[in-house]
Amino acid sequence: MSDRIADRHPRDSVPEALSTEAQPVVLECAGIEKAFSGIPVLKGVSLQLQPGTITALAGENGAGKSTLMKIASGQYRADAGEVRVRGELLTSGSTQSANRLGVAIVPQELASLLDLTVYENIFIGRELKGPFGLRRKMMIEEARKDLQQFGLQFDPTRKMGTLPVGIRQIIEIIKATNTGARAILLDEPSSAIAEREVQQLLEVMRALRDQGVALLFTTHKMEEMRAVADHVVILRDGGLVLDAPMAAVSDDDIVTAMIGRELEDLFPDRPEHTEEVVLDVRDLHVEGAPEPVSISVRRGEIIGLAGLVGAGRTELIEGIFGVRRTTSGTITVDGKTIKRNDPFASIGANIALVPEDRKGAGGVLSMDILDNGSLPRLKSFTTAGWLRQRARRDAVSQATESVRLRSRGLGQSMETLSGGNQQKVVFARWLTGTVDVLLLDEPTRGVDVGARSEIYRIITDLAAKGMAVIMASSDMPEILSLSHRALVLREGRIAGTLGPSELAAPDVQDRIFRLASGLSATPTTGIPTFTNKEDAR
Amino acid sequence: MTTEALTPTGRRRIDAKLIRHIAIRYAMVIVLLLVMCFFAYRSARFATPDNAITILVAAAPFALIAIGQTLVILTGGIDLSVGSVIALSSMTGALAAKTFPDQIWIAVIVSVVVGLIAGSINGFVVSVIKVPPFIATLGMLTLASGAAYVVGSGAPINGLPESFGAIANTRVLGLTIPVILMIIGIVGLGIVMRRTAFGLRIYAVGGNPLAAQIAGIKTGRVLFSVYAISGALAGLSGLMLASRVITGSPTLGQGYELDAIAAVVIGGASLLGGRGTIWGTALGLLLIQTLNNGLDILTVPAYWQNVIKGILIVAAVAVDVWAAKRRV
Repeated sequence: MSDRIADRHPRDSVPEALSTEAQPVVLECAGIEKAFSGIPVLKGVSLQLQPGTITALAGENGAGKSTLMKIASGQYRADAGEVRVRGELLTSGSTQSANRLGVAIVPQELASLLDLTVYENIFIGRELKGPFGLRRKMMIEEARKDLQQFGLQFDPTRKMGTLPVGIRQIIEIIKATNTGARAILLDEPSSAIAEREVQQLLEVMRALRDQGVALLFTTHKMEEMRAVADHVVILRDGGLVLDAPMAAVSDDDIVTAMIGRELEDLFPDRPEHTEEVVLDVRDLHVEGAPEPVSISVRRGEIIGLAGLVGAGRTELIEGIFGVRRTTSGTITVDGKTIKRNDPFASIGANIALVPEDRKGAGGVLSMDILDNGSLPRLKSFTTAGWLRQRARRDAVSQATESVRLRSRGLGQSMETLSGGNQQKVVFARWLTGTVDVLLLDEPTRGVDVGARSEIYRIITDLAAKGMAVIMASSDMPEILSLSHRALVLREGRIAGTLGPSELAAPDVQDRIFRLASGLSATPTTGIPTFTNKEDAR
Repeated sequence: MTTEALTPTGRRRIDAKLIRHIAIRYAMVIVLLLVMCFFAYRSARFATPDNAITILVAAAPFALIAIGQTLVILTGGIDLSVGSVIALSSMTGALAAKTFPDQIWIAVIVSVVVGLIAGSINGFVVSVIKVPPFIATLGMLTLASGAAYVVGSGAPINGLPESFGAIANTRVLGLTIPVILMIIGIVGLGIVMRRTAFGLRIYAVGGNPLAAQIAGIKTGRVLFSVYAISGALAGLSGLMLASRVITGSPTLGQGYELDAIAAVVIGGASLLGGRGTIWGTALGLLLIQTLNNGLDILTVPAYWQNVIKGILIVAAVAVDVWAAKRRV
């Protein structure tokens, strides 16, 4: 369905008028500085967006990408420097005036109206009106055209809430262009959406470029930069370290610029595991799953849970921890049976859960690092209910140091931390005490390369210390390189188990995919695999 | 906390930036001071020690329910029932005092326990049956109000022993018992919220219930306890009000819940939960009571008082919203 757009892909189709001298730059940031509570986040960043180009904005978590976007779109006021949109100064620090000038931002957390229909979302705020009220038919038709233009074939009268996040994002982008945006800023557009939707998103971005729109997007994925970006801008610690045409730089240049050092091996060596079983899950029936599941994990062992979205990985992990209802089965840790459906009992048995949705389930954003860090083990910092501040502070600061958290101090609010650092807090809060079983759900989703390798190191270090680890992940290299054994889930069942020798086999990815999707075991051609998605282009 | 206002040498400069910073951080305190200055300027009777005591005495019954309300609102809930729980506990307390005139402690216990039971029912309905707090406590508002009339068959309970009146009218160190209870309540709960695991759990449950549950917090238990505390404090407040006028009345405390909620919100708490402090509520309460008192002194007609109060409450919160945006 996206062929039509792909045909338009060649760059020479950019309308001539848009690349003349009259408006050479759509959006210009000059010498932007911003500090939060005296800590500089941006130290004089300048950047220009030309019409009909896509610029990738990369950098580690906390490098200042989101802050720069928020300043460019008028959400934050810069301490110094200026933002110009087509030559006009963006002064007021408001999103509305930025919108009027033609800059729109599609934030990481979408603000769609889920109970309204797609066309209502597209037209909200500039509804088509006739003498008898809203001209719904006309809006539906217009919306249908818009959707088709971006290769989306569905009814615009569908409720927004019934669509996957990736499609909602595309609709937000359509809405932004319809309001006349000439510069669109996308904050981590691919971090929360499925692989297939990423491809769709990239197509939409290309189509917009060809219409002369300037796009700026943040991403952690090299393959996305390679796929669509003309230009790459890299921030490190609030400063601009690289601003170059994509074609002029190698992957290594980009990674080095991002982390400021050569990237050692992304994955550390797997630790040796013992034969002693720590976690034993027997016939655990998670509510809604078709059949019970059994897993046993040994001390120091990392078990990977692979599978497609909706295969029941999160459900299984949550079931073990007790936050999702289980109807039968036993869970034993070190030979002791623990009470099911009781997270408090699980924590007491030294089980820890790092959930998938950091913002929704991991941390309490309105609280600071210290409070977040002490939540799961409050008992160990209290005497008769009173907090022992010194002990709490020491334990949390030790734990956050062990995960190399970058923050302004324990009093920093969780919501002002970058994604990778939030994840580190969610890890660290368990490390103030003993953990025997560590349950991880997508531990590196939305986390940049530098923090990612640090998180891998944390995981293997913890396993080496004797923890039993279960890690659900959609990232195939993560499963293959970190886990001792991989379980492939399909529709709530364990479809297959792969041992060390099978994980090392050359055809392992194909095999996992077959198990995960329920295809027959005989290899056929033309089936997409998990990696090298870009090769198809 | 004022890092921006430090020069490179570490000395604090007094300049426009620092003043702006202070104005934003202490917006509500400044509003309160301005209101006080206005009243002091308009009337010589306002800024006197006696009048300060008058304000505190008037504030006391509200303070008890407002701090309970703060805990509830911090969890993201609301307790609409406190006004009628005051009525019910004043009636049951008065009835107990009449029945056992020589053992006045029975009346004290009955009032507080009736409040605690009403609050516990709220807590149970919210945390176990999972009825939205607004509806659960709206039900209790109607129920308790009805029950208050049932206790006295529709009439107030008069002719209570002297000793019942002594509860609220005894002075210790120049302050009446309700004022002392208010101070203990604010300081005590203020410290509890900052310094105990219980306080931290309330903030966690309000900030993100799912994350709190994964961190092993028994969210149901926390929810139950805040409603129970709110109810017990309303019971205590009802006892104090009834004792002050030596009468139990089914109309006592009517509409008080709204002033309590206003105080909490003026104090900077978010109705979505997770944000707010007891100190903020105390400040909000003081603002409302200062307005009541000052407008009385200026002999503004009662109906106009409400009009002015309504406008000022919204204006005060508007200032806070403005300041909160600039605190980022």
